[in-house]
Amino acid sequence: MMAMELSGVSKSFDGFHALSAASLTVAAGEVHALLGENGAGKSSLMNVAAGLYQPDEGRICIEGRDVLIDGPIAAKRLGIGMVHQHYKLVKAFSALENVLLACGKGRYGKSIADVEASIRRQSAAIGFEVDLKRPVGALSVAEQQRVEILKVLVEGARILILDEPSAVLTDKEAEALLGVIRQLAARGAAVVLVTHKLAEVQRFADRVTVMRGGRTVASVDPKSRSIADLTALIVGEVQTEVRKPAAAPGAPILKLTGVAGLRADGHRALADASFELRRGEIYGIAGVGGNGQSELAEILMGVLRPAAGSIEFDGVGEIGGDGARRRRELGVVSIPADRQAYALAGDLSVTDNYAVHGIRSHRFGGWARVDGRTAQAATAAAVAAFEVNGVQGPRQKTALLSGGNAQKLVIAREFATQPQVVVVHSPSRGLDVRATAAVHRRLCDARDNGAAVLLISEDLDEILLLADRIGVMSRGRIVREFAAPVDRQAVGMAMVHHD
Amino acid sequence: MTDIDHNIPAALPAVNNSELRAKRQGFGRFNLEVRQHASAWYQVVALAGGVGAGLFIAALILVASGVGFSDLANEFIFSIFSTPRSLSDVLTQAAPLLIVGLAAAVAFRVRFWNIGIEGQMILGSIAATGVAIGNIGPAPLRVATMFIAAALGGMLWMLIPALLRIRHGVNEIISTLLLNYVAFNLLLHLLYGSWKDPKSGFPNSEQYEAVERLATVGWESLTYALPLALILTAVIWWLLNVSRYGYFTRVVQANPRMAAAMGLPVIAVTMGAALLSGALAGVAGFAISAGVEYRMTQGFFVGYGFSGILIAFLARNNPLGAVLVALCVATLFIASQSLQVFYQIPGSVVQLVQAVVVICVAASEFFIRYRIRRIHRGS
Repeated sequence: MMAMELSGVSKSFDGFHALSAASLTVAAGEVHALLGENGAGKSSLMNVAAGLYQPDEGRICIEGRDVLIDGPIAAKRLGIGMVHQHYKLVKAFSALENVLLACGKGRYGKSIADVEASIRRQSAAIGFEVDLKRPVGALSVAEQQRVEILKVLVEGARILILDEPSAVLTDKEAEALLGVIRQLAARGAAVVLVTHKLAEVQRFADRVTVMRGGRTVASVDPKSRSIADLTALIVGEVQTEVRKPAAAPGAPILKLTGVAGLRADGHRALADASFELRRGEIYGIAGVGGNGQSELAEILMGVLRPAAGSIEFDGVGEIGGDGARRRRELGVVSIPADRQAYALAGDLSVTDNYAVHGIRSHRFGGWARVDGRTAQAATAAAVAAFEVNGVQGPRQKTALLSGGNAQKLVIAREFATQPQVVVVHSPSRGLDVRATAAVHRRLCDARDNGAAVLLISEDLDEILLLADRIGVMSRGRIVREFAAPVDRQAVGMAMVHHD
Repeated sequence: MTDIDHNIPAALPAVNNSELRAKRQGFGRFNLEVRQHASAWYQVVALAGGVGAGLFIAALILVASGVGFSDLANEFIFSIFSTPRSLSDVLTQAAPLLIVGLAAAVAFRVRFWNIGIEGQMILGSIAATGVAIGNIGPAPLRVATMFIAAALGGMLWMLIPALLRIRHGVNEIISTLLLNYVAFNLLLHLLYGSWKDPKSGFPNSEQYEAVERLATVGWESLTYALPLALILTAVIWWLLNVSRYGYFTRVVQANPRMAAAMGLPVIAVTMGAALLSGALAGVAGFAISAGVEYRMTQGFFVGYGFSGILIAFLARNNPLGAVLVALCVATLFIASQSLQVFYQIPGSVVQLVQAVVVICVAASEFFIRYRIRRIHRGS
């Protein structure tokens, strides 16, 4: 008897078929990986299982019984728990209060004691350490994730769904998490692991189901397949990225000395960043998330004023006090980690989002009149050149683009004029294999055209693949620098051990 | 192991799925979906449906409160649009409504929630009346001087909340709202004090002289307030929908953080729109005092603040749409006046009727955003 069987599940949204007769069978005691590109339907299928979406068609069997999951509460009763990619936590509440919110029953006082005891039992059993009293917002991403996992465990979930749990974790944290997942499976839980990371799948999953275009195309034993085979199943063709080092790094263009930056709450997240960017090279900044990378990116974008230090631009001098407008005039462009916050306006059309870079340069009309036709033509050309798919017309809302295509649109805009310095933060977060490769190719092209690229990423593989030099960032400082090619272990050690 | 491995609670009986399905089908099962594209045609139909439903319910309310059905049709349709007199009343009423609608739309375009339109109207009228009482400037340019003074008055009154918001992050909803009361008391102070009408002794300003009034266009009692409102509409339409500034406001409205990161002058754009909104509200005050009442009264502004917000909302901040909506609201105003006079319908019922129409139109928005779909769960 299977823990969960989904068969022939279909779901469409306003005419778009997110799922077409998808099927998935998960046994108790196994870790079942669900692989696929962005938009392949992984999250949709899991949202059906978790009761968030109602399927248009299809059967759901839980432990051999036909069930109707008409909401998250029904899913919870059936023992299905989902840890979403974007955590569903109340940031101002403590971990305990968050768990209580999800599964408190009966009288408040008694309930709080029960839940606390249950959390302690669960976390002791799997070796989790979580501070139950601090507000969740003050915890690290990895700790927040543990709270989410504890929440579903305390709810009594026997079928656990984890949507891209390792996307935001460092190697070490991911390793620990996956160990815990194996442990849970060993105790009889059925675990569905939605992921992009093939190496993870090979090491930790018992079985893998691959989705493509809303269908489940294969269900195989990952250990019997090579990475190339799995990739082929996902994208329908084999393609692996090859490292392409810089031909000839040029002269320094940007020099940071002792740059510091404060977070909104006054915390000095970026303490003392000193490094140099050269033309024609990719400088990678590796490090555990939350060590000042976001502040560094914001300072270079011009939206956060540095609290100390100097930023010198070759031939111009100090630019630390200049705002975003001046930075862009100098050719400093950025591809921020949080596209929706800093790079795109979802409610505006693709054209409006694209044209914003050139609106000041009279390319799209003067102050009295914005030339919509020229802007639309330029957008259409850029959309074609940068292979932004899913654009049905120049007036389409940007929010309707998938993550990968939205990222390509940002890149098309930022690279519309020859950039001098490209600040990139986690450019492939949440993107599938194909879109990631396209983004990486653009970054290498920019470098080969003489731009200095600053690649800030929490994904060490990405840094190792692209960077010509690597600075390791920890507690707001560059603690070590490496020249490529580098030893993965050495970089990993520098990320976590420091004085 | 113990915690994870308990059985399915009894609360959920293991029911056969088809049985469950049959039960649900009795009620029908509906899904709410976000509509990804709504054609312009569909939007018009949905809005018209909202207006129709609103008028229908409004008619029921009025019939229930004693107006005969035929009288109703008579009052709304025939008497208003058949006699030039009442048509000119509607157009006269529409002019200040249109201007306050523009004032609200400009501010809302940059997410600046100007609730203080009435206060800015008061300051606009005070500035214009000051020019009139002091006989400032040459007589042929008196009205123009009053217009400029009114715009500056409204703008300066808005400067306070705009600076508070941009410098100190003070919520403009609160500051603009509270400044209404300050403005109102300033108005009373003047009208019961130095500006009291010396002839009648009533608490309103003395009547404007002929050179201080907006001239009539030569048809019924209609003044140049309406052409002024229409010219302002064209200017604001150009500013918001054609010019580069309008493009900036769109980006700032959609995502201010992105606008800042792209190097757009977010503060200047926001500040500019807020001050323009205040100036327009001041002009609306001038349009009433110099175009309708020919003096500054105690209550000339009452109701215009929320009407402006309403017009901007229903017109979706589009200046051209505001013309249409302002006309509709003006019709409601005038029709409701005659309902009050001739049928003794209380003012509160008239407000109720207006509210019903507005709620129905607002609700039609729901059908533009979402699609309701009947689900057939095939086996």
